[in-house]
Amino acid sequence: MKHTLCIALCALGCCFGAGTAAAEDAIIGFVKTAQGNASLVVAGRSVPAAPGAALVRSTLLKTGPDASMGVTLKDNTLLSIGPNTELALEEFMFAPAQSQLRLDARMTQGTLNYVSGVMAKLRPQAVTVRTPTGNIGVRGTHFVLSVAKE
Amino acid sequence: MNTREAMLSCLFSRCLLGSLLVLALAGCASKGYVALLPDQDGRVGQVLVSNAKGQTLLDSKSQAAELDTAPGKTFVLSDEQLRKDFGAAMAAAPQAPVSYLLYFETGGATLTPESQGLIPQILAEIQRRPGADVSVVGHSDTQGDDNANFQLALSRAQTVAQSISTAQLSADRISVESHGEKNLLIPTADDVPEPRNRRVEILVR
Repeated sequence: MKHTLCIALCALGCCFGAGTAAAEDAIIGFVKTAQGNASLVVAGRSVPAAPGAALVRSTLLKTGPDASMGVTLKDNTLLSIGPNTELALEEFMFAPAQSQLRLDARMTQGTLNYVSGVMAKLRPQAVTVRTPTGNIGVRGTHFVLSVAKE
Repeated sequence: MNTREAMLSCLFSRCLLGSLLVLALAGCASKGYVALLPDQDGRVGQVLVSNAKGQTLLDSKSQAAELDTAPGKTFVLSDEQLRKDFGAAMAAAPQAPVSYLLYFETGGATLTPESQGLIPQILAEIQRRPGADVSVVGHSDTQGDDNANFQLALSRAQTVAQSISTAQLSADRISVESHGEKNLLIPTADDVPEPRNRRVEILVR
């Protein structure tokens, strides 16, 4: 009996553990285009960006000189960046049924071309792009943003 | 004024002019800017710029604001400047996602002949897009029990997912879910058979 309970508790623990891990690692989008020296940085680890590469929350999109990258997020937001750009996807929640909608990005340098997805339509105040100087509140649908390196 | 004085004066004014120019440039050094563009359908949205000085709303085509703008101060971005600053970023834009609706015979996961005929087209679209990802959402009509309909819609989505699985579409790039009878295309009362609600929505990104 004791044994069974232990197994049950372990299973429960595993369930919760796996659940949390899944949320952390949940795919929020994919790379669609990449040119030149374009990379994805997650927790300090950098991997080259290539079409089909998965994005998770807190991914930093980074490009070198003459490089560019385009990604599509799960809510159909299209983001593309030009050379010498650093764009961090800090928060992304897209669960309309649970009313969880949030896209929070931070750009410290470079150029961004943004086309909004379902999120900005469902809740316009859900999307923010922050820069060192000013913040962009996105109520749709298409804008460009350039940030000078500090 | 003798020649020497004239020369000095000239040098001085040049120097002053130069300093002023440098100061002016430093004062104008852009922190960056944001500009609003029309979307694919020609509609223009809105962007709100907030900084330490206040807020500025952009709501017309090509309207732009410096990131450190004084409240309400905007300018118009020329096409030439747009191309110069954002040509690379815009050229890297992913293709807009495309969606398909597939319909089913009543009570099961068998596609109607018309919808079955769409499968090759969907496969071609997936293969045409580098790094494509696909979401498949199954739906039912309201005929019968809620839970049974959830399962039915799920099996419809799974059937479709199988028929569009290809070698280059890895498992993490296809998502399958069921909305059961909770997301009707055509609103009906409960227990109403409606062919247009028996569907799977496929989104190819």
